[in-house]
Amino acid sequence: MSLWNKIFRLPIAGVSTLAVMLLAALPLAAQDTVLDPASSVKIDLPADSPLTLISPPDLGESRATARGGTIVLDLHMKLTLRNGGFKHVRGVTLLITAQEFAPGGKGSVARPSIDVPPGQNFSVPVDIRLVRPVQQTGGPLVRVQLDGVLFDDLSFFGPNKLNSQRAMTFWEVEAQRDRAYFKQALQARGENGLRQEILASLARQADRPQLDVSVSRNGRAVGGVLPAAEHMAQFAFLNLPNTPVKPVEGWAAISGNEARSPRIEVINQSGKPVRYVEIGWLVKDKQGQEYAAGSVPASEPAMVLPAGRGASLLQDTALKFSRDGRPIEIESMTGFVSQVEFADGHVWVPSRQDLGSSPLLRILAPSPEEQRLADIYSKKGLAALTAELNRY
Amino acid sequence: MKHPGELDLALLAGGDVGRMRRFSLERHVRACVECENKVAQLQALRAEVANFELPELNWNQLATEMRANIHLGLEAGACVRAAHVARSWNPRLTLAFASLLVIVGANFLLRDSGPQLTSPARPALQSSAPVLESTGAGIELRNGSSSMMLLNHPGAVASQTVSAGGEIRARYVDGETGAVTINNVSLE
Repeated sequence: MSLWNKIFRLPIAGVSTLAVMLLAALPLAAQDTVLDPASSVKIDLPADSPLTLISPPDLGESRATARGGTIVLDLHMKLTLRNGGFKHVRGVTLLITAQEFAPGGKGSVARPSIDVPPGQNFSVPVDIRLVRPVQQTGGPLVRVQLDGVLFDDLSFFGPNKLNSQRAMTFWEVEAQRDRAYFKQALQARGENGLRQEILASLARQADRPQLDVSVSRNGRAVGGVLPAAEHMAQFAFLNLPNTPVKPVEGWAAISGNEARSPRIEVINQSGKPVRYVEIGWLVKDKQGQEYAAGSVPASEPAMVLPAGRGASLLQDTALKFSRDGRPIEIESMTGFVSQVEFADGHVWVPSRQDLGSSPLLRILAPSPEEQRLADIYSKKGLAALTAELNRY
Repeated sequence: MKHPGELDLALLAGGDVGRMRRFSLERHVRACVECENKVAQLQALRAEVANFELPELNWNQLATEMRANIHLGLEAGACVRAAHVARSWNPRLTLAFASLLVIVGANFLLRDSGPQLTSPARPALQSSAPVLESTGAGIELRNGSSSMMLLNHPGAVASQTVSAGGEIRARYVDGETGAVTINNVSLE
């Protein structure tokens, strides 16, 4: 026996045995199981809900796959609901919980910008992937609950655990603003004017750079660089005309592509008490490219800011920005007031004129309604868009 | 008397030395018969070389012979290589490489036969605290080795927004219904 064979004989035998064992275990390790809707998903709608579930959820291609020490569940549901109330439904939000898979967080799926008359059905898709170590479990994997329904008169039904009333009201007010803008373009400048506006919207959506973000609480975002170069950076502010709340000053700790613990001081310059403020957050990288990074909401859900008084918006989170897998080095930051909710429930959002006279129209994502109208034009043409605008 | 070197004398015979060196060499040669004779011989040799004519050569035949030699060398090399491979074939080594291939294949099947694992495949990124992350596929909440991800509709381009309050939203237009869906995942 050569020296070569003497040296490698044992490892070769070991590798061969391991390979045979792996081959034998392969069918077990990657076993797929089709999920049973009854035992996998629990759907809770309140007894007095204006929405009713038409049929058990269609789980389609949903399946569970055990691989190694983990189980992966891919759930693809389509919930068909009926508007059993007396008003048109403008939006719905479902709360999604999977406590065994995602302790420390929760999800929701919302359908804004809809117009569902009484007695009509509509669907909500829920596509979710869950990963956890293999272990015995009882009860449903995912629980779906109704968090809220918004009607065309901006009235609301639901437990509102996720503050979905506020979110859906803002979306609806933005939708009304943008529908009015495109209707006005149609009335004032005809079909050509509407076409120009919607083409400009599609071009902005195509050109808008998108960031990937990771967020963590009370510390550093995962994968962030060490804080050797961390410094406190000050916000510049874009003051929109007629904004009820004015940002005064603000800071965040910046280190490379990570921003931590933003703090912004605001003053209520309107004559009415305010219960919610959100500051839009733009970042500029070292190449001068500007991105919509996110927002800084009011820290207290039950905040009340009397007229003429100031407050601090502060969040103890760390955000890390990247694009196409590359970190975005933050050079400067700009803030602007993006949402205000008054104590009486009325809301304020920047007007189309405010957006158009600033870089915001170019940098920010369009409203859900503008996105939907642009999609109608691109898939069905101008006649379908005109018919949609004339519907309500 | 110290004589100049052969090289200096050859350069002098060819007229290839500088002015100062030429002056000193010529002074020596004038006084030294031995060196004077060498320079004369070198000059005569140069004259002969200048009148030398190359013999008549068949360049095409030369090129053919060179190509034949190159082919012969290549064929000989191939024979040597084949013999080497045949001698070094080892069934155990082949079995080991085949087994390694099986392991790599099994790993590929385990990892890609179903939905892509995110959290377990990235232990270095795991954190004890929950972390939210947006990607092109959707929004993922990771907590240790468990995770929940709200997926974007396949093929849909989602626009994402993040709140420093600890939540990420992804919005896309459903290709089937034309309605907008907004997925939202938040830290508690």
